[in-house]
Amino acid sequence: MSDTQWPRYEVFQQDRAGRPHRNTGSVHAPDSEMALLNARDVFVRRPNCVSLWVVPAEAVLAITLEELEDNPDLLSISDEAETERETYLVFRKQSQRNSMTYVSHVGEVLAKSPMEAMRQAIKTTNDQQTYVWWVVPEKFIVKSNEEDISSHYDPAGDKKYRMPQDYRVLKQMLDYRSAREGE
Amino acid sequence: MELPNLKEIQRNALSQRLLALADDELILAHRDSEWTGHAPILEEDIAFANIAQDELGHAMIWYGILQELSGKDPDRLVYFRGPEDYRNCQMVELPNGDWAHSMLRQYLFDAAESIHLDQLQNSQYRPLTEAAAKIRLEEVYHLRHTSSWIRRLGLGTGESNQRMQKALDQLWPYVGQLFILSEEESILVDGGLVPEPDDLWQAWQALVLPFLEQAGLRIPNDNSTIRPDRSVHSEHLAPLLAELQEVARMDAEALW
Amino acid sequence: MRSESSERIKLGEFEARIARGEKIEPGDWMPEAYRSQLIRMISQHAHSEVVGMLPEGAWITRAPNLRRKMILMAKVQDEAGHGQYLYHAAETLGISREEMLEALLSGRAKYASVFNYPTLTWPDIGVIGWLVDGAAIKNQTMLARCSYGPYSRAMVRISAEESFHMKQGKEMCIRYAQGTPKQREMLQDAINRWWWPTLMMFGLPDDVSKHSELLTRWGIKTRSNDTLRQEFVNELVPELHTLGLAVPDPELKYDETNRNWIYGPINWDEFWQVVKGNGPCNEERIAARRKAHDDGLWVRQALHAYANRNQVNKTS
Repeated sequence: MSDTQWPRYEVFQQDRAGRPHRNTGSVHAPDSEMALLNARDVFVRRPNCVSLWVVPAEAVLAITLEELEDNPDLLSISDEAETERETYLVFRKQSQRNSMTYVSHVGEVLAKSPMEAMRQAIKTTNDQQTYVWWVVPEKFIVKSNEEDISSHYDPAGDKKYRMPQDYRVLKQMLDYRSAREGE
Repeated sequence: MELPNLKEIQRNALSQRLLALADDELILAHRDSEWTGHAPILEEDIAFANIAQDELGHAMIWYGILQELSGKDPDRLVYFRGPEDYRNCQMVELPNGDWAHSMLRQYLFDAAESIHLDQLQNSQYRPLTEAAAKIRLEEVYHLRHTSSWIRRLGLGTGESNQRMQKALDQLWPYVGQLFILSEEESILVDGGLVPEPDDLWQAWQALVLPFLEQAGLRIPNDNSTIRPDRSVHSEHLAPLLAELQEVARMDAEALW
Repeated sequence: MRSESSERIKLGEFEARIARGEKIEPGDWMPEAYRSQLIRMISQHAHSEVVGMLPEGAWITRAPNLRRKMILMAKVQDEAGHGQYLYHAAETLGISREEMLEALLSGRAKYASVFNYPTLTWPDIGVIGWLVDGAAIKNQTMLARCSYGPYSRAMVRISAEESFHMKQGKEMCIRYAQGTPKQREMLQDAINRWWWPTLMMFGLPDDVSKHSELLTRWGIKTRSNDTLRQEFVNELVPELHTLGLAVPDPELKYDETNRNWIYGPINWDEFWQVVKGNGPCNEERIAARRKAHDDGLWVRQALHAYANRNQVNKTS
């Protein structure tokens, strides 16, 4: 049996109710249940989080604006045998600002294939500047449970010693100096 | 019930119990932290270090309540007591062994702790109910994590199953001690301050035994158990404490 | 198949994007050298975080009070997390974690040589936080603005967490500087041992540093090694002096004109020895990682087998 670091899962995090899920990175895990647990340990050491989603990395179809401009025929490639229409979640990157997160959830489309979903996603987001699109079949996304918020995600808020604000080094340095000067 | 309403005898018993709870968490956290940097995969270095931190946090909560009750400073208790004065159960002081052994020990302990905390929420002593409510939440996560592991290791491969079985056979004699109170501590049950240990033992078996069997493991037939007295320790505690206390004992007056 | 001239055009467009401050994302066109340089840099960075867990992790069991124990556990856990974010960033460039691990464990891959020095006393932990992490922050702050999206995002996240690492170390040093004579002595000894390896973290002098020009043009390294090193020295020296600590540099002197603390020559021979694997702890560090990896084989395989049997992953 070969040795691997386990498959990769993309992770999406929702900071607060009502805000979109955003891709924050990935974890390696043997399966999606462990991926959710690992994602919590990797990404939710500090507040805030109310929900995590994980999806096998290979289920993601990604296209960048630069790729499209370089290769306008990309979208007319037809992918494999068409199946029933199913829901794809659409994510996109809309800003060039430095950030901790990448693409954000913006909506859903119904399509018979990833490429068709991508075409629709690009068409429906025509109104705004987009740099990257992701489409992901909803059936492959595994979501955390709402009842787990209090046990899985809230405790991060209690661990103040992990926050830089908990350390008053400037004051301590000044106190040291004035104590010395007093001598 | 608040502090002033406790009888002297209850106070002493409660101090004893809190010390046991705190020492359990401290020693387990210490053992867990030995895996940092050595886990089978990076994600698990993070996960197990997180569990260790949580357990240490729980220890600090119990030592904190003990401090309110007895005036004893947590750092002095942890760093300046010898093994003969520690009151942790023997299971947590055992060396880590392999990943199966450490995961199973964590699972068995997490299951006991979760059940204990659930019932402790009914305590007549408010600081205990508050602590239980808080710690319980983190234990939900631990139990989810460790039970996921036990299941996967139990059912994974022939090798993982064998290692898990060996770990279970080794740990089994140590489990009983988790559910025994000393004679002095027993009065706490009458006062409704702590749960009846036999109730905890029954609930634990109802949770753990079917789960282990579904994970492909055989419950050991072995009825032998170690001595329940928490002042008795294995040969592993003294070297553990020597390391834990090494720096602090260099200078009892130094502030670190 | 691209012609040479169209490659040049693509390169021009690529460099224009970077000059405009745009992020290069996975899937975008990039010159092969950009990809390979980044894979090298990011994976080295990831390995550094992971190996770096060992010198500090070893002291968790001996932390002298409960708060310090808790803090050190959190810090080392963060470092594992940082390694994780960085491996992810490298993976977006087409290298697998298996390949990167293989390179590390076989001794082929490099990582920050500062982690090949031993942590001899508890105050070393404070000095590592204040000096080593302080130096890392300078580098990270620069890289948070780099042109490659996944790397810059990893750096933004790491920078947010690293600040606590530096501060907890500084807090320890401030305390030990005013502690018992033994504490002050251990602290000074730790500073003496960690000062120069910390300065070496900023890399070779600008006039010698190999990849610099390309990395600058491609928005990866936007500030020079010597600039960052000088900034760091200027910040630390006055604070060390305030605490009554000596900097182990007999040639250190203040230049009024430029307002710089001029430091003495760095022993680059030592640097190269350590980079090549002859440092005090190189073998030990890699051996520890290799043992963890080998001991964990049955674990990884078991979970793999379980997942395959339960078909919980299938996307096809």
